[in-house]
Amino acid sequence: MSAILDLVLGVVTSIGGFVEAGSISTAAQAGSEFGFQLLWAIAVATVMLAMLVEMSGRLAAVSRRSLAAAVRERFGIHFQMVPLTAELIIDVLLLAAEIGGVAIAVKLLTAVGFQWWVLPIGLLVWLVLWTLGFGPIEYGIGLLGLVTLCFVYSAWRLQPAIGDIGAAFVPSLPTHDSTRYAYLAVSIVGATVSPYLLNFYAAGSVEEKLTEKELWVNRSTAYLGMCFGGVVSMGVLVTSAMVLGPRHIIVDSYEQAALMFVPVFQQWAVPLFAAALGVGCFGAAVEITLNSGYVCSQVFGWSWGANKPRRDAARFTSAFTIVLIMSVALALLGFDPLRLTLLSVALTVVIMPAVVLPFLVLMNDEKYVKQHTSTAIGNGLLAALTVAGAIMAIVVIPLELLGG
Amino acid sequence: MDLVRDLLDKRVVDRNGREMGRVDSLILEAREGAPPRLAAIELGPAVLANRVHRLLGRWVAALEHGFGVDEGRPLRIPVAAVLEIQDHVKVDLAFGETSAATVEQRLRRWIRSIPGSS
Repeated sequence: MSAILDLVLGVVTSIGGFVEAGSISTAAQAGSEFGFQLLWAIAVATVMLAMLVEMSGRLAAVSRRSLAAAVRERFGIHFQMVPLTAELIIDVLLLAAEIGGVAIAVKLLTAVGFQWWVLPIGLLVWLVLWTLGFGPIEYGIGLLGLVTLCFVYSAWRLQPAIGDIGAAFVPSLPTHDSTRYAYLAVSIVGATVSPYLLNFYAAGSVEEKLTEKELWVNRSTAYLGMCFGGVVSMGVLVTSAMVLGPRHIIVDSYEQAALMFVPVFQQWAVPLFAAALGVGCFGAAVEITLNSGYVCSQVFGWSWGANKPRRDAARFTSAFTIVLIMSVALALLGFDPLRLTLLSVALTVVIMPAVVLPFLVLMNDEKYVKQHTSTAIGNGLLAALTVAGAIMAIVVIPLELLGG
Repeated sequence: MDLVRDLLDKRVVDRNGREMGRVDSLILEAREGAPPRLAAIELGPAVLANRVHRLLGRWVAALEHGFGVDEGRPLRIPVAAVLEIQDHVKVDLAFGETSAATVEQRLRRWIRSIPGSS
């Protein structure tokens, strides 16, 4: 019974925690500029994420190690410097973008400039991490995040043509702006398959003491939770495509993205969009901050855990506090949160092979996962998609930046 | 035992199971007419950084000196004090009594002063 409850709670919280600054902004832009045409990118990214998250849980359940710890042991510090440095840089950028996303959400509700909210939001993130254990953080964020289901409701109420949606799951070439199309496809993958999620999920499984006997719970939670979560992202894209696209509204700010709710929610459009954006980004900000503490502690062998009194894990607490301070400082510098988000998610795809390829090696090493190794098809698919995504990102990011 | 595969970078815990760090470096003893023998394991950010690049090692050592946490670091643990090597390395020491705990203890003093830390 407890396993079933864990499964339901896991799936529900995965759905609630799925969308954040990256997924909302990339899906909104993709929908407004290319209609339903980039739905396939969300589908591919969601399947990749579900596979990787399932692997993270499996690694943690069988080896009792998180991803960062296992990489240090298997590949040594020389190799790990690359993914560690890249992940921490992306964490700081993405965290600043998420804090910016929450600040914009509060601005939409209060009309007070977003930079005034950056510091209080940073403090609130820290207070949540200072006072709560892993369970309340994970489940609280996930349950509050269910407000993001309003994207799915909105898409459903707009009654899109099912045939058009189905056709968009087959990748096709755009009729205009192919560089922008490729950049958005890469950004959707980067926004969905965030490296922080993989280590966060593995560390969470260690915290929750997931065992080998519960691997089926892990598998079901990962696939059901992530695939239903992907539907929320698709809801953003479909709503944007049906509301903003025909009106030629280009999403170059979150304020404009909020207009997508007007036809369905009318006077509640802006408050509801602000709630979905704010809760989604706040949840991601808490998870990224916590993950930065996890990664540092696991690589260097410090005492760690959100369930431990903070004084018993002083270096872990200090590490996540320092990363949070750096991100708050970056957000305070006044970068446009939407641009920062898009840059962070595109860069994520560039570093993805350094995170995913060693992960695949670990998942085929019986010293870590015993007989629960990955299948050849899964390995091949993930390796091919990761490398192809990175090559595409290296090509299109400079083109987009120069063109933009 | 393959020292690099089975010992280097493994988690080190004290006799009570408390995390001390990881095996950041190995000290080998050269013997005449016989293969080198493992003499000790070392824990500490400076020796770890030194493995990545000598210059980085010097920077980290200077940083430790600057913050006044360099006394007795890196921590060198003789092989005789190693109790077991499994998926972690257990040593016959108490974390709090070693120099591996210097930074943790310094930070804990600050953190304890914030309400809700326990």
